[in-house]
Amino acid sequence: MSLIRQIWLLLLGTLLLALFAGVTIVVSSARDTLQTQLQLKNSDNATALAQVLTQQKGQREMMELAAAAQFDTGFYRSIRFIGADGKPMFQREATVRPQDAPTWFVALTPIESVPGVAQVSDGWRALGSIEVVSQSAFAHDELWHGALRAAEALGVVGVIAGLLAFLGVERIRRPLDHTVEQAASLQRGEYMTVAEPNVLELRRLTRAMNSMVERLRVVFEGQAAQVESLRRQASCDALTGLSNRGHFMAQLGAALNREDGHAAGGLILLRVHELAEVNRTLGREATDRMIRSIAQTLQVYIERAKGAFIGRLNGADFALALPQGGVAAETAKAIVELLRVALPAFGARVSVSAGAVETRHGQELAGAMTAVDFALAKAEGDEPFTVVSASTTDEGLVGGGEQGWREQVRAALNARRVRLATFPVVNAAGALLHLECPLRMQLAAGGPFENAARWLPLAQRSKLTCDVDERALILALDDIARDGQPRGINISPASLLDSSFAARLRTILSESPRSARHLWIEVDEIAAVEHFDIVRELARQLRPAGARFGLEHAGERLGRLERLFEAGLDYVKIDASVAHGVALDPQRAAFMKGLATMLHSLSLEVIAEGVSDAEDARTLWACGVDGITGPWVQAPESATPAS
Amino acid sequence: MLRASQVHGPAAVSGARALQAVLAGLVGQDESYKLTAINQFFNRRIVFAPDQEVWGQADYWASPLEMLGKGRGDCEDYVIGKYFSLLASGVPVTSLRLVYVRATIGGPGGEVLAHMVLAYYASPGAEPLILDNLIGEIRPASRRPDLDPAFSFNGDGLWQGVGAQSVGDPVARLSRWREVLAKARAEGF
Repeated sequence: MSLIRQIWLLLLGTLLLALFAGVTIVVSSARDTLQTQLQLKNSDNATALAQVLTQQKGQREMMELAAAAQFDTGFYRSIRFIGADGKPMFQREATVRPQDAPTWFVALTPIESVPGVAQVSDGWRALGSIEVVSQSAFAHDELWHGALRAAEALGVVGVIAGLLAFLGVERIRRPLDHTVEQAASLQRGEYMTVAEPNVLELRRLTRAMNSMVERLRVVFEGQAAQVESLRRQASCDALTGLSNRGHFMAQLGAALNREDGHAAGGLILLRVHELAEVNRTLGREATDRMIRSIAQTLQVYIERAKGAFIGRLNGADFALALPQGGVAAETAKAIVELLRVALPAFGARVSVSAGAVETRHGQELAGAMTAVDFALAKAEGDEPFTVVSASTTDEGLVGGGEQGWREQVRAALNARRVRLATFPVVNAAGALLHLECPLRMQLAAGGPFENAARWLPLAQRSKLTCDVDERALILALDDIARDGQPRGINISPASLLDSSFAARLRTILSESPRSARHLWIEVDEIAAVEHFDIVRELARQLRPAGARFGLEHAGERLGRLERLFEAGLDYVKIDASVAHGVALDPQRAAFMKGLATMLHSLSLEVIAEGVSDAEDARTLWACGVDGITGPWVQAPESATPAS
Repeated sequence: MLRASQVHGPAAVSGARALQAVLAGLVGQDESYKLTAINQFFNRRIVFAPDQEVWGQADYWASPLEMLGKGRGDCEDYVIGKYFSLLASGVPVTSLRLVYVRATIGGPGGEVLAHMVLAYYASPGAEPLILDNLIGEIRPASRRPDLDPAFSFNGDGLWQGVGAQSVGDPVARLSRWREVLAKARAEGF
């Protein structure tokens, strides 16, 4: 039974007891008073009557008449005259029942009418004694009314007391609810602090929980800092802070092959000419300054284009990956022009060349790198500050303008030309954790089912992502209901911005609660960074329905996600750019291990994405991840290099 | 009774002792002997004095021990003392009555005053014997032409059906008669 209910029962019991005791005391004291009054009245009336009878000179008729007159005009139950020899001479009796008081009340509160006795004589001759008993029926009525009045008054007092108690209990209940809510959120993995309540005991409890959360935060921040430094060591160039070669390649490979990547992109390779010579003439410090200046120029671009990333591939080579097709050459030219102005400050002989190529989703990493290398080689053959662009793009996008895309996506959704692909996620024992289910859409009737890279940008621009995600959720729930296999779907960051989205998802989940328990729902790490509160709210809405909630493509920003421990997540999928190639790179493995340890300390499951060979898988298990997914998991034979 | 008497001073103690000696001598005696003994005891031991003089009040009903303590008392104090002593000696309450009388002093046509005597009825309808402090001798009522009875009462029936009433009972304090009854009870009569 809840504490508040117990308090209520206790209060109610106390009030009823007080009411009962109050009425009982009032009635019993009133009864005592009435009884005493009756006794006095009996006694006085007996004496008065005896005096009257004594005046009758022993005439029996006169005495009887006087006694009868007294009886008839007064309120008596009986008047008896007992002779000196002990025999009754005459008597009058009447029984009157109480008019208002119920029988049970009369039986419960007997009022004894003590007879009053007085001696009657005629001169010296003793005639006998007169015994007078007053009527007590009126007393019972009086007592009954008194009891009712007392009950009424005490009832009113009781109601007032109840109201006061209600206010008091409410005063306790609100902070208690907050405290309980905090405890529940701790259990859900949302480590958050709340304001301390006014109630002393609760304040201590809340303070204890807050300080525990605070301590957890400190531990987490320590771990996060450690992980961040591991990440920097593993993936950053020491001089510029840009991604190193290995990390840039992993990022680019992941971007080209990711299910929900960008359909088209650009790749720019920039080289500083004769860096060794420059280093020799300018000196090491000036060279470093120059390198950093180039890095800063590039960084301006990635801040402008969301999803772009840069890396320093080796001493002289910088690479820039753009998330948009058709702008690579233009961007490269703009950068080179900026450098043409800026670099002479470091020395007349300092110059750069750049190659730019268009990339498309699904393209081989090696192919893209070869193309951009080729373009750069051509540019180097020319004079300094030349840009050569190779046009490798093929027009794959749907034509027809924005309206056309919108119609196509909408038509595909309406005609249910969508289905879920399945990619298994397994644990170390090889058991299936869930099937990752990205949505495939048949944009044109009868055409191929395309992955998100093709249609997600269209859906985003058409603001249809909510409908797409909703459809994916329904499909996943249907599939789970059919075969009982757990499935995972991802939510587009754009959908999060729709305020009704969480409620829509929850409604769908609540309609099939059994399947919902086998559903994993994930959002991109970037969404958690940019819209932390929305993601946390979504987790709060969906997790009670039984679904698990996690982040995908995570790793880069986890260390910087300070409130990760408040988010209330179940799992985190580590991006392929982090997980790929861990077997060959001890620093990256250390980062992976640190990341897994940190996430485990928050009770989160850790899953690595994009695992493409057995060595990586082995290293990842050693790093402590709970599950892996990727090409190697899907088809171990073909993905494992023949040995 | 002795312990209760200590409250009222040494005179009360010696009075109580003497009364107890008298009462002890009455065990097994017939009632007329008891009447004579008790009547003599109080008439000889107590000097008549008005309440105003003894108690400083216009009218005060003293308990037997209070009276013995003062050694003085007026008519109702005598009657009360005799009444309770006789009850204590075993005389039934039904045969005793306290009677308000109009006393004519100094023969017919003499001074008239309100007075109280104790009447003893050997049987319910019999002529009573009068125990009085004006005339020390016990005489039947017919031989007391100076007394004209007005009203009589006793303690009979007062405690009927009420069970053991304590001295502290508020009702007991409400009338002089009941107060004296309660006090006498507390004093061991």
